[in-house]
Amino acid sequence: MLLGIDVGGTFTDAVIVSGAKILAQAKVVTTHGNLMYGLLAALDKVLVGLDIRRLDRVALSTTIVTNAVVEGKTDRVGLLLMPGPGMDITKLVPIEPYILSGYIDHRGREVVKPSSSEVEDVCRQLSGTDVFAVAGKFAVRNPRGEQAVGEQLARLAVPAYVTFGSTVSGTLNFWRRVNSAYYNSAVWRHFGRFAFAVRQALADRGVVAPVYVLKADGGTLPLEAAEDYPVEAVFTGPAASVLGIMALAAPEGEAVTLDIGGTTTDIALWKDGLPLFAERGAVINGYPTSVRSFWLNSVGIGGDSFVRWEEGLLVVGPMRKGPPMAVGGPVPTVADAMIVAGVTAFGDRDKAWAAMRQLAVNGEETKGLACQVLTAAAEKIVQAVKRMIEARAAEPVYRVEDIVYSKILEPKSVVGVGGAACGLAPLVAKGLGVSASVPEGAMVANAVGAAVAKPTLAITLRADTERRYFTVAELGLQNELKERRFLLADALEAANGYLARRASIAGISIDEVETVYAEEFNLVRGFQTVGKIITCQQQIKPGVFTRVSMREDI
Amino acid sequence: MEAKPFGLVFFPAFDWSISPTHPEREERLLYTRDQISEEGLLDIPGIREYKPRLAKVADAERVHIGVPDIKSLITDAHLVSAGGAITAAEALMRGEVERAFALVRPPGHHAMRVVHGARGFCTINIEAIMVEYLRRFHGVGRVAIVDTDVHHGDGTQDIYYHDPDTLFISFHQDGRTLYPGSGFTDEAGSPQALGTTVNLPLPPGTTDEGMHYVLDNLVLPMLDEFAPDIIINSAGQDNHYSDPLASMAVTAQGYARLAEKLKADIAVLEGGYSIEDALPYVNTGIILAMAGLDYSRVVEPDVERAPRHTAKTAAYIEKLVLEQYALWCKRQELSHKAVLKSGDYWQRQRSIYYDSSDIGERQLENLRLCPECQGFMTVATEAEGGDSGYKSAFAAVIPRQPCGACRRQAKDAVLAAKRKGGFQHYIIQDKENDFMERL
Repeated sequence: MLLGIDVGGTFTDAVIVSGAKILAQAKVVTTHGNLMYGLLAALDKVLVGLDIRRLDRVALSTTIVTNAVVEGKTDRVGLLLMPGPGMDITKLVPIEPYILSGYIDHRGREVVKPSSSEVEDVCRQLSGTDVFAVAGKFAVRNPRGEQAVGEQLARLAVPAYVTFGSTVSGTLNFWRRVNSAYYNSAVWRHFGRFAFAVRQALADRGVVAPVYVLKADGGTLPLEAAEDYPVEAVFTGPAASVLGIMALAAPEGEAVTLDIGGTTTDIALWKDGLPLFAERGAVINGYPTSVRSFWLNSVGIGGDSFVRWEEGLLVVGPMRKGPPMAVGGPVPTVADAMIVAGVTAFGDRDKAWAAMRQLAVNGEETKGLACQVLTAAAEKIVQAVKRMIEARAAEPVYRVEDIVYSKILEPKSVVGVGGAACGLAPLVAKGLGVSASVPEGAMVANAVGAAVAKPTLAITLRADTERRYFTVAELGLQNELKERRFLLADALEAANGYLARRASIAGISIDEVETVYAEEFNLVRGFQTVGKIITCQQQIKPGVFTRVSMREDI
Repeated sequence: MEAKPFGLVFFPAFDWSISPTHPEREERLLYTRDQISEEGLLDIPGIREYKPRLAKVADAERVHIGVPDIKSLITDAHLVSAGGAITAAEALMRGEVERAFALVRPPGHHAMRVVHGARGFCTINIEAIMVEYLRRFHGVGRVAIVDTDVHHGDGTQDIYYHDPDTLFISFHQDGRTLYPGSGFTDEAGSPQALGTTVNLPLPPGTTDEGMHYVLDNLVLPMLDEFAPDIIINSAGQDNHYSDPLASMAVTAQGYARLAEKLKADIAVLEGGYSIEDALPYVNTGIILAMAGLDYSRVVEPDVERAPRHTAKTAAYIEKLVLEQYALWCKRQELSHKAVLKSGDYWQRQRSIYYDSSDIGERQLENLRLCPECQGFMTVATEAEGGDSGYKSAFAAVIPRQPCGACRRQAKDAVLAAKRKGGFQHYIIQDKENDFMERL
């Protein structure tokens, strides 16, 4: 039995998945003051009548990290940076950083060692601070500078936690790694308290199953491992939804999936049956980070979207003025139109009809008008989907072959989940000229996604065969390269080995590994090939343990 | 911090090389890619990256006369690189950006009007293709091209040698000491365009100070007076002190400050082969400067080894600037005299060597000095060497806005040549109708 809990902005959902079926589900109102109350209420409700000893895993998708950032429940962080030459980053990061003079160049050479007197000075200024983030430019190609500063901090400042930029992501982008490292340290204590409370609450209930946390990349991590990288657990709601769609509908090939909620629709594009990832990473509080996440686009259309006439045109969203009139709201909404059109049934049907009649200022036929509203709403989603497809086609590529043989994404199906999916997803599909489906269980897709999401981890290996060393950034390793002949295939194999090591440290098993990116360049000096630079990133493929359907008797 | 709207077309062509160990190989922009990515430059609000489009062969034939044709002389990489320059120009014309940088390869500034093969790593001239695209589709008229590559931009010079609407300024290491061995002060344009080609050969060892002296006292005042609709920078980066193919002493700070002062609407990468020690820093500096951001911390780790400015170089440069500015001020008068002296036609006979393809070309240009228009020209070309053996063509070029007489005579000249025989190909490049006709 897999238990999934999704703490959303409005509701907290819990599901039990067993044998590819949803065995039980529960919904409670999210308790914003302390998420734990709602979370535990959902947990208790869904477990009623079930044997908790049969639980194999508990997985949580929560807004704990997102809220901590938004609500400023973050710690004061000592941010120590070694930017070296280049752009001045001082004003681009969430807090005033301390700039140290050591740096690494693009080949991973330590050009200037970090100055211990500077670190001493910073420690004096930061007395009382016990969480730190240390990041150096190109530290993913040589972590020694960051590590040296870390060692000195450990001696002088007795830190509770230090995040190193090179371990939050092995990919180039110093600015993003700095922001990631900062937020990781800033939410570290808050997340730790949450983890403690979760463990205690589960122990109180006699739950012994391991607890996992969902990340923005749609993978899970054991709670203990997640405590080192809490920033990864930001924005898990949309990731849970995408995973839920994977479990409930398993879109094949190229597809569009929609999570149509009250105020917004989250759109994801899929290729080869997998959701596309954001090119660089998530943006937290306006700061770009290296946190890997799905590529989602949010458009202001949902069940509660305000519908009105503007200059003779029917306009839907993006604002919400309240719930649908069918449940006592103030203005006509998309959901009212759905009720009148007969695609859904909830609230007071007469009030929904009244909403549409109120909108029929030119004497339109009521049901026809409702259909018009839905078409207008769907059209906005269709346009957003088309913009995403265009944006995808416009993404820069760096090889001639990729320009000449570039292929435009052509979705073959639309899958919708969320409250308003049944009303809008088929119309969006019609607008795109493809088929639509709204899987059963779509209302609890997020919790299902959390329940069945596989663990993920990534590792980045970079080998410089001329300088005869390789780095594995996420593990903070820089080792001598002993092999004389080292090719991309060797690098991939070595990376898989380190991925296995990292997985075992985190306490997870590896199912299927995929290559995120891989490149190999010949190094030529003076018309002689003197070596290779090989970079690859391997990850445990994100996915779901099982496809899920509703229990037959629901 | 927000940048001024700035477009970057970055195309390192990671799957294209002239040959595996050639300076123009896959690795050339690898470290530049690393530095740009690591800085996070593309995440800065206001900086937008564009994917290059694929240029059409017709875009290249708007500029070049290929023998036997352009299509058989180029690879897709050339069309991406030219397309990258066009993409940068389009972004500017749509008003999406204030400035744009086509950081693309392969380069183009050694490619001349007639193309038999590759010279100085260039087959088609990507700036000229972009400029003619802008003229054809966006009504751009007067153009200034400032070539800051260490090598003389002889291809661009050749293409615009007879065009008084295009000011071509190239400063470079003295041609007596470096490829392609041209770019002397007396190469100043054909009579009707005299003074709109400006060559500033600089002594080896010229530093930031020397380059900025030329910029402040000559290039910028010339640009002010010429008042172009658009300024293009052929942004070669091989004046850098660490470049392996040249002997200058410019730093990343020098290049970034140049980009800041020049205020080019569009910069297009040309050469630069110090791929580890210069390009990552120079490109970061140029991007920051063009985007209106602080570039003061972009400093090479080994900048101390850059040679210092010498009194001898300073004196040479001051003299050069003084002389060239005097000529610039007299350019109309000089042009008038040259036209009178030449009569109705101006001829130029040259031998051109294609070092990258090992082809030797003999060429005879015959330009009509027309009082009504830019004048048509014919070019007779014969080439030998390389993989293709002997090739020859006789072509006429009809200018963008020809008078009736030039239009007729251009066509007649090619027909007459064809009747007479002796060439393999007979071509009319009709710039008025944007059409390449093969007879």
